[in-house]
Amino acid sequence: MEPLDLEVDDSSLELPSDPMQLMMGPSHPAMHGTVRIVLDLSGETVLKADVQIGYLHRGFEKSCERGTWNQVFPYVDRCNYSSPMLNNVGYALAVEKLCGLTVPERCQYYRVIMGELARIADHLVCNAAMAMELGAFTPFLWWTRAREMIYDIFEEETGARVTHSFARIGGMADPPNKHFKDAVRAALPKVLAANAEGVSLLQNNRIFMDRTMGVSPISAADAIALSWTGPCLRSAGVPYDVRKASPYLVYDRFDFDVPVGTTGDNYDRFMVRVEEITQSARIIEQALDQMPDDGPVNVDDPRFVFPDKDDVYTTIEATIRHFKIVMEGVPVPKGEAYGYTEAANGELGFYIVSDGSGTPYRVRIRPPSFAIVGGLSKLITGQMIPDIIPTFGSLNMIGGECDH
Amino acid sequence: MPMPTFKIDGKEVPYEDGDTILMAAYRAGIDIPYYCWHPGLSVAANCRMCLVEILPPPGRPAMMLDVLELDKDKGEYVVVRKPKLQPACQVPVTPNLEVLSETSPHVARARHAVQEFLLLNHPVDCPICDQAGECKLQDYWLEHMRTSKRMHEEIIHKPKGVSFGPTIVYDAERCIVCTRCVRFCSEVVKDPVLSKRERGNLGEIIVAPGRQLDHAYTLMTEHVCPVGALTSKDFRFKARVWFLRSAPTICQGCATGCNAWLDFDPRYQKVYRHRPRDNKNVNQYWMCDEGMLSYAAVSENRVASARVDGKKTTVERGVSMTAASIKDVPKGKVAVLLSAQHSNEDNFALVTAAKQLGFDNLYVTGKAPGKGDDVLRHPDKNPNTAGVTLVAGSSPKPFGDLLCDIDSGSITHVLALGSAVPVEEAAAVQALKRLSFLAVVGVWDGPLAKAATVLIPACSWAEGEGTFVNAKGMAQRSAKAIQPVDDARPAWETILRIVEATGETMPFKKLKDIQSAMPAPAEKAPEKKAEEPSQAGEASASN
Repeated sequence: MEPLDLEVDDSSLELPSDPMQLMMGPSHPAMHGTVRIVLDLSGETVLKADVQIGYLHRGFEKSCERGTWNQVFPYVDRCNYSSPMLNNVGYALAVEKLCGLTVPERCQYYRVIMGELARIADHLVCNAAMAMELGAFTPFLWWTRAREMIYDIFEEETGARVTHSFARIGGMADPPNKHFKDAVRAALPKVLAANAEGVSLLQNNRIFMDRTMGVSPISAADAIALSWTGPCLRSAGVPYDVRKASPYLVYDRFDFDVPVGTTGDNYDRFMVRVEEITQSARIIEQALDQMPDDGPVNVDDPRFVFPDKDDVYTTIEATIRHFKIVMEGVPVPKGEAYGYTEAANGELGFYIVSDGSGTPYRVRIRPPSFAIVGGLSKLITGQMIPDIIPTFGSLNMIGGECDH
Repeated sequence: MPMPTFKIDGKEVPYEDGDTILMAAYRAGIDIPYYCWHPGLSVAANCRMCLVEILPPPGRPAMMLDVLELDKDKGEYVVVRKPKLQPACQVPVTPNLEVLSETSPHVARARHAVQEFLLLNHPVDCPICDQAGECKLQDYWLEHMRTSKRMHEEIIHKPKGVSFGPTIVYDAERCIVCTRCVRFCSEVVKDPVLSKRERGNLGEIIVAPGRQLDHAYTLMTEHVCPVGALTSKDFRFKARVWFLRSAPTICQGCATGCNAWLDFDPRYQKVYRHRPRDNKNVNQYWMCDEGMLSYAAVSENRVASARVDGKKTTVERGVSMTAASIKDVPKGKVAVLLSAQHSNEDNFALVTAAKQLGFDNLYVTGKAPGKGDDVLRHPDKNPNTAGVTLVAGSSPKPFGDLLCDIDSGSITHVLALGSAVPVEEAAAVQALKRLSFLAVVGVWDGPLAKAATVLIPACSWAEGEGTFVNAKGMAQRSAKAIQPVDDARPAWETILRIVEATGETMPFKKLKDIQSAMPAPAEKAPEKKAEEPSQAGEASASN
């Protein structure tokens, strides 16, 4: 029997065709409803691609200038809705940097664990969607089930599955639940098993490899020039991770590796995320062991942290404290700061300016996806139409991050 | 000669002869906390919040007190020595005085203790208290206390929701008995209707038996109250002050031209209250009830849309009808009616329009005179009588003359600005109805609007910028607070459009050009910054 994968490159089967323009999106299901790509095609080959973001415009940065500093949390939740906890913590750290606040150690561990769980959830979704876009529906269902276990923990901790708005300037909205550590320890092996099981279906799968290996590669130099960060940059072989390069919270106390790829193609991006899930799990395990079981979660400063509700309802002092924070917002000193953390897609920066009032003067976000989508047209030019979708998926474009 | 100085926390602070420490600090913008002190009232020194440490003169021992204090390590009381603190509001400044305020741990402790003491029996009322957001108890808790309650006994209960009169409600539980309201009534209004009874935690403010708090300045007692003990019946439960923004305006109630803050909610474009804006040269720190309640005129009895012969129409039609009706009339038959209720800008636009169109019969209208007193209220109830005379160049003829001229038939057409007339309303309407044509650009419904052939709505003072000249001849700028209501446009703009519709041209197109072209008074109001930055939204007054 003849092999199915005939080499057709040298054959004369290709038909001559005129260039054609095609609008992909914004209503194309793979374009999330938020991106349009204007394609110039020769047959099925992309000659030119004009990627247009901006179909999602909420005015995130402007909205932040209206309320108090704490009222920004719901907005940052919705910047990357796949891992809102990382955005929450990233923004909180930026404001705390300007205020000169350091949250108690217990809170730092808590933020690390919650953040890494969010990173696992984010990577699972990204990989699952990419596999599904190549026709592999089973890993998608398995990994979504794994993500569900993480969402259960989030629901238990924060009361919300997706958008938690859980961080606060100077701490977290609530301390960890009594069974937090047990819940994470119980769920983590199951999540890792599901991850490994799904990977086993794809890693050496001929169809998956053919569709991803060597598709849309990027060199390290190009990725840096495009200001890429995160898994997409690391897949090109650059071992840059903010958690290692300038550790924040308690990341310098953990032993973990930064996985890198070689060619920066779709397969590398997939595998970097796969490995990062394992590394995140390593961090979580160490953090669970080191995290104190008692102690405060919030800083001890009545200007920043809400009093207990019981006291608010019964004593005037706590009522005043509550009112001051609600009416005027927390007193962020005049000045500016840039806070940056490693979010699921790369460096998430918040450049904030305070005029000394309780309302942000300016909140400028440096979202990882915005820079990464800037490289999309370069990646897909010269590729085939069917490769656009998995390439787009491997970048993990998040509409909310591109709005700014 | 430079002013003499003394030191607060090592910083040189200038003072005038007779200044107290607090007065000098207040003028220099140095924050020493206080409740009972008020720059416009006598010194009571009863709240003890302004205690400061005064260093002894060189070579002299400090005044020290022996105090028993619990030593937590030993578990017993020991004698410690502390400096005797002095109220900054009462101690006069002397040459080379050295005062410690922020830098003294004793002062910080005293402030913490005073604040804790004042909150000891305070009810948990912030959620239902109108003062929340501009309350000194809240501000100073955050600045000087920041700790929780230590007393867990039931607080002392006192009368709540006591009606003091037609405008004010008193809550004795919230009261810190600073006596600012008592002193205001007896010192400024000279009507000692309020007093204090009992002592310590039973102390409360009372109204003189057989009386009500009903003089002309009752709302000021609410304004001087540093806490939520006195609340205004008018403002009660209407708005939360931290949602309000403030525009610096001029009160329209009389010719005194009190400087005011007009507080509005930018979300609903609704005005909620008027309160005094300190200006030493005009109204000091005060305003009268009539003026403080006059904010309501922004939304009451307004002309909402243009009318022709009483029927609703568009402003465009009103403008073109007016232009067509006055264009071909013999110039001498047309009168132009200025208004003392409108700004210099509006009146100057009308005076210029009259010049361009060749009409030289200028008259003025406004409200009839009313009651005055020697505190603030002026008998002339128009905010800009002096301004009209100024921009017209000479005194325009009074409204009575206009009625006579209409009667005699020498005036048949009138182009009018304003709403009120200084004579009996029915008679005025009857006389004005005899005109062949009356165009009115007005803010409020009234005799002029009733008699108008064409009526075009104008912006009130809250909806546009304007200059008003008070009885002292001071020109003061009033800022815009909210967007114009319904079809209202600034009167100067409508006048401009009428002139342009006749085919003539005006020498200006913008408010700025009018302001630079119109005559300025001899005495210009000095730019005076608001002195007491304790109330809502002043920091964000720019909106």
